[in-house]
Amino acid sequence: MTASRAWARLALLGCASLGCASLLAGCGTQAAKVAATAPPPVTAPLSTSLVTAQGTWAIAVMGGPAASENNFWQLFVRPAAASKWSLVTPAGVADNGGLVATGAGSSLLVGFRPSQDLAFSPLAASADTGRNWSTGLLDADLANVPDAIAATPAGPELALLQDGSIERAPTASAAAAGLWSRLTTLSALAASAAGSRCGLAGVHAVSFGQNEAPVAAGSCVRRGVAGVFTEVGGTWRSAGLALPAAFGRDQVQVLGLAGTAAGSTVLMAAGHSLLAAWPDGARWSVSDPVAAGTVRASGFGTGGSAWLLLGGGRAETVAGPGRSWQALPAVPAGTATLAPGPGGSYEALAVAGSKLTVWRLGQGAWAAVQVIKVPIQYGSSS
Amino acid sequence: MPGMNSGLSPDDPTVVAAFRSALLHQGAIALIVLVFLMMIWATARTWRTAPAARPEADEAGARAGESRGRWLLRTGFGTIWILDGILQAQPKMATGLPTLVIQPTAASSLSWVQHLVNWGGTVWSYHPIQAGTASVWIQVGIGAWLITAARGRWSRLAGLSSVGWGLIVWIFGESFGGIFAPGLSWLTGAPGAVLLYVVAGALIALPEGSWRSPRLGRLLLAGLGLFFIGMAVLQAWPGRGFWQGTTHGQPGTLTAMVQSMASTHQPHFLSALLTQFGSFAAGNGFAVNLTVVIVLAALGAAFLTGRPRLVRYAMWFGVVFCLAVWVLVQDLGFLGGVGTDPNSMIPTILLFAAGYLALTPAPQQVPQTEEVQAETGTPAAAAAPGWSQRLRPRALGSALATASARSVAAFAAVAVIVLGAAPMASATVNRTADPILALAISGDSETLDIPAVAFQLTDQNGKAVTQASLRGKVVLLTFLDPVCTTDCPIIAQELKQAGTLLGAQDKDVMLVAVVANPTYRSTVFTQAFDRQEGLAAVPNWLYLTGSTSQLAALWRQYGVTVENLPAGAMSAHNDLVLVIDRSGEIRQELNADPGPATASTKSSFAVLLTQYARQALGGS
Repeated sequence: MTASRAWARLALLGCASLGCASLLAGCGTQAAKVAATAPPPVTAPLSTSLVTAQGTWAIAVMGGPAASENNFWQLFVRPAAASKWSLVTPAGVADNGGLVATGAGSSLLVGFRPSQDLAFSPLAASADTGRNWSTGLLDADLANVPDAIAATPAGPELALLQDGSIERAPTASAAAAGLWSRLTTLSALAASAAGSRCGLAGVHAVSFGQNEAPVAAGSCVRRGVAGVFTEVGGTWRSAGLALPAAFGRDQVQVLGLAGTAAGSTVLMAAGHSLLAAWPDGARWSVSDPVAAGTVRASGFGTGGSAWLLLGGGRAETVAGPGRSWQALPAVPAGTATLAPGPGGSYEALAVAGSKLTVWRLGQGAWAAVQVIKVPIQYGSSS
Repeated sequence: MPGMNSGLSPDDPTVVAAFRSALLHQGAIALIVLVFLMMIWATARTWRTAPAARPEADEAGARAGESRGRWLLRTGFGTIWILDGILQAQPKMATGLPTLVIQPTAASSLSWVQHLVNWGGTVWSYHPIQAGTASVWIQVGIGAWLITAARGRWSRLAGLSSVGWGLIVWIFGESFGGIFAPGLSWLTGAPGAVLLYVVAGALIALPEGSWRSPRLGRLLLAGLGLFFIGMAVLQAWPGRGFWQGTTHGQPGTLTAMVQSMASTHQPHFLSALLTQFGSFAAGNGFAVNLTVVIVLAALGAAFLTGRPRLVRYAMWFGVVFCLAVWVLVQDLGFLGGVGTDPNSMIPTILLFAAGYLALTPAPQQVPQTEEVQAETGTPAAAAAPGWSQRLRPRALGSALATASARSVAAFAAVAVIVLGAAPMASATVNRTADPILALAISGDSETLDIPAVAFQLTDQNGKAVTQASLRGKVVLLTFLDPVCTTDCPIIAQELKQAGTLLGAQDKDVMLVAVVANPTYRSTVFTQAFDRQEGLAAVPNWLYLTGSTSQLAALWRQYGVTVENLPAGAMSAHNDLVLVIDRSGEIRQELNADPGPATASTKSSFAVLLTQYARQALGGS
C-alpha cells in the first residue's frame, strides 16, 4: 500500500467516524419542546363554601402532598346561628380525590371523587349538620369541579362526570340506591343547536334553575359567548346569558353555578376578567369585571352573593345583582377558602398541614377566631 | 417502565435466602455433572488404554497452533465472563438488577428502547430467582467454555455463545449500551462493555485460518481505530457538557460522573482518588476533555495505519490510558452499587492487544493440517466419518476415551450453561410470577386446622349465603371494603387471577369476600365494586354483606379489626385470606397485604393463592 492510499483511506474512515459520531450525538438529543403560547385555562379548584338552611359549609384540602396520597379533603360546618366551626368530614371513604357538595333543601349532599383504584363516586347526605350521614352511590367518576353535583329539595339530583356527561337521579332515594340515568353527554350537548352555537368544548358545572330545570354550563370555543344551557322538555336550550360587547373577543368559561329560586347565579372567566351574572327574568344582569388571576377558590353565598379567592392573597366579593365587586383585605397566609360569615362579614379558613385557623373579617382586618386540629391519618391511603 | 419493578427491596431477606439456596442447589448439580462426566471419561480411558496418549498430544498441539491474538481474546473474555457470573451472584441481584441496574440505564433512552427493555425487566421481576441464577450459570458456563475449548468447532461455538448471550445482555441489561440516550461517552463505557464481548465472541467464532494472516489484525485495528476516532468526535461534540468542568456552579458532565462514582460504597483510597480527580476535572474540565479527545484521536489514527511499530507504541500507550480511565472514571466498573461487570476498559485493551498480536503473528505459528481435528478427537489422517458412524456406541466410546481433559471440561461448561438457560427459558414463557415475591411480602402463612365460623349473610345479588352452604367447596375467604381505594381492589384482582389459574379446578373453589366497612356496606356498593373489578360475571365469586351487627360479629370471630377513621381516611381493616377446605376447616391463614402491589407481586400472590387452593383441594 502506498502512503497516499493509506492517507486517503484514513481520511475516508475519519469521515465515516465523524458521521457515526454525529448520528450518536443526535440520537440522545431530546427535541426541543415548542413553548405553548396560549394562556392556561382558568380552573376552579374544589375548595369552596356554600350556605344551606343548616348552616355554612366549607371544603378545603389539608395534610400533605397529593403525590404521596397524604392530601385529605375536609368538610367543616358552622351551623346556622353558631359561631364555631366543626369538622364533619363523612367517614368511611378515602377522599384524596376530592369532595364536592351541594345543598339539597334541608340536607347536604357530598360526593367523593374517585382516587387511586376506586373508580366510582360514593355519596353521603346529612340532614343534621354532619352528625349523621346516609350513603349513596354514583357508579361513575364525578368531575373535578366544585359544582359537579346539584340537588333540589324535592329530590332530583344531577351529577357531572369527568367525561362531561351528566347523570340524573329522579329522587334522593334513587341516588342513594345508585339509580342514575344519563341525561346527556358532552358530545350530545355540543351537537345541540345551543351547544353548536357556542362551540361547546367542556362542561364545568351543573345546577337546577327555575322549575327544577337542569342547568349545565361550560366553556365555548366561540368568542364572546357564555355557555349556559337549560334543559326543558328534553331539549337543551341556551339560557340566554349574553355578555356585554366588550367581551366579544374573549373566550368565556363558566367556573361555577349556584341554583337560586330565580335561576342560576354564574361565575365565569372572560379573557382576563372574572364576572358574575344573575338571571333577571328573561334577561341577565352581568357584574362589572374584576381582574383575573389564579383562582384558588370560589363560591356563593345567599342572595346571589359570590366570592373569589385569587392568587397573591387577593379576595373579591360581590353582594348580588347590580352590586360591584369589593376587594377584601389581603387574606391570611394559607387561606384555602372563604366563607360568608355572621353578619355579612367573611371568614377565611387557613390551612397549615393538619391545623385549620378560622379568621374573621371585622373592622377592615382579619382576626383569628378559632383553631381546629384535624386528626389527619397520614399514610392511610398509601 | 411499569412492569420492571417488583417493588421489593433488593435486600429482602426471603428473596436473598431463596436466591442463595437456588445458587447452592444448582451449583451442587453442576458439580455432580462435572464429577459424573469425569468418572465416565476416566472409565472410558481405563477400558481403552491404547489411544489414551492422544489427548496430551492434542493439547500441546492446540496450544502450539492457536494464534496468540485468539488465545488472548478467548482466555481474557472467558475470565471476564466468569467474573461477571460471580458478580451476578451478589445477594442484591435477584430483585435489585431491574431497579438498580436496568431501569436507571433505560430511563433516559428513547421510548421504544424503554418498551423493549421493560419487557426483559418484567420477565426478570416476575422470576427473580430463576433469572438471577440463570445469569450466574450462563455467564460462568460461557467463560469456562471459552477458556477450556481452545480449538475447533467447540471453541468457535463458545465464541458464538458469547455473541448470543452478549447481545441479550447488551440489549436488556445495558439498554443498547446507552447509545439511544443522551450523555453517551467512551469514558463511561459507550457503546456498552458487553458489545465488546460480542465483538470478541464473533472474532473467536471466525474460522481459525483467519487468524493466520495479518489481515485480520489489520481489519480489527482499523475497526478499533474508526471506533476511537468516532468516540473522539463524540467527546469533542459541542453542547454535550464535556468541555466544562462546572457550569453555573454545577458540575459538568464528566465531573458529575466522577463525583457520582466517588460517592458509591468502596474502599476509601479509591473514593479519595476519584474525589481528587473529580476536583481536578471540575477545575480543569477543558484540559481534561482536550486530553481525552487528542488521545482517542491519536490512538484511532495509529491503529488505522496498521503499521506494526506504530501500533505497538499506541497499544502500550492505550493500555496505560485505558487503565487510568478504568480507575479514575469507571471506578473499576464493579465497585459501588450492584456492579455487573468491570466495564469497558479491560475488554477494550484485550481487543486492541489481540489486534496487535494478530497483526504480528509469531514466527512459529505455521498452518497445521491436523489442528481442526484436535477437539473432536478424530485422528487427522483418517477420513472424516459420517454422523451415523460417529453416533455408534463403539465410536462414541472411542471418542470419549480419546477426548482431552479440556474437551470434557468444555462439555461440562456447556452443561452449566444449559443448567442456567433452561429455567430462564421456562421463566420467559411463564406469564405468572414466582410465589416467592408474595411470601417475601406476607411472611410465612399460618397453617391451621380449626372449623370456619358459621354465618348467614347476603351475596351481591341479595341471595342468602351460609357457611354451611359453602361445604363441599374450597373457599378462599377475605374481607374487603367496597369503597377502598388501595388494597382491596388489588386483593380482589389477585383472587380473580387465582381463579383463572385454577383452570378446571375453579369449579371446586369459591372466591368469597365479606364487606369490611361499617358504613358503605349495602349490596349497592358490593355490586359497584364487582363492576369496577370485573367480578360481576365471575361465577364462583361471592361478595357477602349483612347488617352491621352481623358483620361485626364475623369480623370479631375472624380477628379482623374494622374501624372508620376520621378526617377523610378510608375505613381501616387488616388484610387476610383464609383457605377453608371442603369440610369447612380453615387450613391456612395468609397475610394478604399486597405490599408494593406491582404487576409481579400481584401475579405472585395469585400464584400463591392458587397453590394453597390446590393443596386444600388435594388434602380434603
